[in-house]
Amino acid sequence: MLSGISKLIKPELFMIKKFDASLGVLFAVFALGFIGPLLYQVQPTAVAGPLEAPPSRQFPLGTDAYGKDVLAQLIAGVRGSLQIGATAAAISLLIGVIVGLIAGYKGKLVDNLLMMLTDIVLLLPSILLMILIAAYFKWRDPLLVSIIIGVTSWPWVARAVRSQTLSLKNREFVNLSKMAGLSDFQIVIRDILPNIASYIFMAYVLLMSGAMIAETGLSMIGLGTTQGLTLGNILFWAQVLEAVRRGLWWWFIPPGATLVALAASLLMLATALDEYFNPKLRGS
Amino acid sequence: MPEPLLLGLDLRASYRLRLGEVKAVDGVDIEIPRDSIVGLAGESGCGKSTLINVLLANIRPPLVLKSGRILLDGLEILGISREEVRKKVWGVKVSIVPQSALNALNPTKRIIELVKDAIRQHTPASDQEIISLCKRRFEELNLPFDSVYKYPHELSGGMRQRVIIAISTLLNPRLLVVDEPTSALDVSTQKQVLKMMVDMKKEGIIDSILFVTHELPVLRQVASHIYIMYAGKIVEYGPADSVFFRPLHPYTKALMYSVMTPEPESRARGLVTIPGEPPSLLMPPQGCRFHPRCPYVMDVCKKSEPRLVPLSDERGVACFLHHGESVN
Amino acid sequence: MATISPFIIYILRKIVFIVATFFIFLLIIFALPRAIPGNPVAALLTQIFQQAQANPDTVKAVYRKFLEEFGLTKPLHEQLFDFLSRLMMGDLGTSIAFYPRKVAELVASYLPWTLGLLIPAILVAWALGNLLGAWAAYRRRTKVDNALLPVFLVLSQVPYYWLAMILLYVLAVTARVFPVAGAYPPSMSPSLTPAFVLAMLHHYTLPFLSIVIVAIGGWAIGMRVLVIYELRSDYVEYSELLGLSDKRILGYVFRNSILPQVTGLALSMGTVMGGALITELVFSYPGTGYLLFRALSTLDYPLIQGTFIILVSTLLAANLIVDILYAYIDPRIRVSYVGE
Repeated sequence: MLSGISKLIKPELFMIKKFDASLGVLFAVFALGFIGPLLYQVQPTAVAGPLEAPPSRQFPLGTDAYGKDVLAQLIAGVRGSLQIGATAAAISLLIGVIVGLIAGYKGKLVDNLLMMLTDIVLLLPSILLMILIAAYFKWRDPLLVSIIIGVTSWPWVARAVRSQTLSLKNREFVNLSKMAGLSDFQIVIRDILPNIASYIFMAYVLLMSGAMIAETGLSMIGLGTTQGLTLGNILFWAQVLEAVRRGLWWWFIPPGATLVALAASLLMLATALDEYFNPKLRGS
Repeated sequence: MPEPLLLGLDLRASYRLRLGEVKAVDGVDIEIPRDSIVGLAGESGCGKSTLINVLLANIRPPLVLKSGRILLDGLEILGISREEVRKKVWGVKVSIVPQSALNALNPTKRIIELVKDAIRQHTPASDQEIISLCKRRFEELNLPFDSVYKYPHELSGGMRQRVIIAISTLLNPRLLVVDEPTSALDVSTQKQVLKMMVDMKKEGIIDSILFVTHELPVLRQVASHIYIMYAGKIVEYGPADSVFFRPLHPYTKALMYSVMTPEPESRARGLVTIPGEPPSLLMPPQGCRFHPRCPYVMDVCKKSEPRLVPLSDERGVACFLHHGESVN
Repeated sequence: MATISPFIIYILRKIVFIVATFFIFLLIIFALPRAIPGNPVAALLTQIFQQAQANPDTVKAVYRKFLEEFGLTKPLHEQLFDFLSRLMMGDLGTSIAFYPRKVAELVASYLPWTLGLLIPAILVAWALGNLLGAWAAYRRRTKVDNALLPVFLVLSQVPYYWLAMILLYVLAVTARVFPVAGAYPPSMSPSLTPAFVLAMLHHYTLPFLSIVIVAIGGWAIGMRVLVIYELRSDYVEYSELLGLSDKRILGYVFRNSILPQVTGLALSMGTVMGGALITELVFSYPGTGYLLFRALSTLDYPLIQGTFIILVSTLLAANLIVDILYAYIDPRIRVSYVGE
């Protein structure tokens, strides 16, 4: 599948401005999370200085109500959010692709049942389901939060993968494989999956941005991870400790802005890929 | 000689794309006499659809007009504003029966609403007048009048096609342009539709028809004159009988004896007997544009491009095999 | 054979589906506390029981009530039967944190604030988003579209509550144009006097804006794509060649593009609700979000469950209304196909 994607990427892709811009922002945010800790070695959890200090040379993004360094928290939080976003998106993608492939390829009763399930989960708002599930866990490590987000966010992927599978399964090359005696599983792996690889990649990008926003929502209502830092975690404490009403803008603006930059550039990346893979959208 | 209904001279139009300029209509002269049915035939991708848009003065980016004049019923229609074309030309002087008749009607409006909107753009008319006009026309054409109160999805494909023909001709346009009218229909509906259009001409609702198709044999039943288009150019024209009995251009011959389908998929399955593909209009071949597919290709064909040479008052061909001949 | 209109069939199918969804949701509500390892409800019971050693009377009453309502000692099918039959009677149980108040009564007193915020915000954002999206589509490949699209894209990714924080900081904390918290001044008590209504609107503005501004982005993006596709459809070309004016054709296109957006309205309400609940926290707005947060932080399971049951039934009811509306305005569903 990866080789399929790399084959699809040609220099024209870089001619789409949205693609370059979103790639630039993504690179910057990833650098903040992964190269940041090497350059800025301050413990995010340790009390580093005075309480509620505004940004200064010593504390570029100031300190919070406990005197902890906000920039150090931001660096750790980006990493935490990306980790949860990537894991949750992978879980959703796995469920969505499997459900969509089986429903689309098998058809009939299996399809009806799976699509009914999908529509039901689609109708129940994922953020509410997440809150409901998370409420029953006292301790929530990042993996658990990822699973909670992942199992509630897959339905639209399943629907899209199903419709793409439906349109592919009666093509000539699938019929050839059938005649050659390949099993359903082999046909799906060899003929269907590579043809929807570009779509799957786009879906992953969108799922990831959705998952990071969901993580922040969960955290804000007090149900985020109880281990480690995420962007949502920082915002939660800023909210609970009244950072807004006390004017501590450096505490809640940077994590939110980072999240928005990350999510928006992922969405823009998906839009650019969509234009690239389906040139009709550009409107010749 | 009487003045023709439509005279198009030196028509050139291109699509300006990122990749370059696609010369879809490249120096076409065309004449549609009054009281005639003129056929225009060619494979899909030969520039027919673009030529239709040019003849209708429906030119919008990325399509641009490079040169040409069109005189339609005494009116120059190129070079006047789109607004004027809308008011004075479309629906009044020329109407189209589009290729995609199945989707050509707004799915969420009853047909009578579209009719009202269309007629009121041209003449102020009361609901009553429009309804009675509509009723009269539907009766003349043997169409059930109650279908105007229906939504498109309530009508069958054949009925939608006929209703569209009726709507297009409500204001008695002089010229009706028909784009592949039969491709989506079954054989008996095809016949009904063809007969309906011929009848309308007889009754004087319309003057002439330009019948565009990729199936040359269909034209045999109806057309009085025929133009053959290939790669943006007219390669042969003449009275229908003459072209049918004595096709001169190798491409015309191929068109006549081939079963062609416009779909690339079926072309790949080998239903087409004209070998090869229509050329890319982005980079047309040097010399005669048909030479890579031509069974009679000569050296000269690869080097220079044959002009469209009149062989008599009515016939002409663009092929080195026939230059210098004269045909009656 | 008598034929039933497709409109009725469509609506009946929707009703069956929504009822089935609601039932499955109830099963999830029922199963979750019982299926999760370490049984959180039982753990909570132990905790309450331990507290009862110190403060016997009330806590023991809470314990007994809770034990009775959750019925953990009975077999599972009896528990489920009890759970469903109490629900039928409109009994959502008793709150632990607000003991002895009933959950249904508690949620009912907070719900109007949430709905009063959500419904107008969703509708206004929907209308404005569609208009802006259609405008961008109409002006595609121009400066208007090039400027608007990135704005929509970014807006659609802003969490409601973060924009709420920014608005609160800029317009209430710094500029002091709007109040910093609540739905009305603490000095007033709710009444229908002009002074109170004005004060309420004053408190309403920022929460309302933070939902509307964000939601516009998503609607505009969707509408823009729909209109662009629609403008390329065959009927647009044909209508134009019949001589119809641009204005008339844009009317057709707008109407046809908005139909899928109506369906989208049904599906998006849940997401907006989720965001709005958290936005209430930021403004200390006394809606269900605020109540839910209290319930979550005190592990008041009956209240958590009850709040969710009410919220989801509201959403499903809204969905049904939107679906019926959609079937009514789309002739392809309202009027049957009558072929040859």
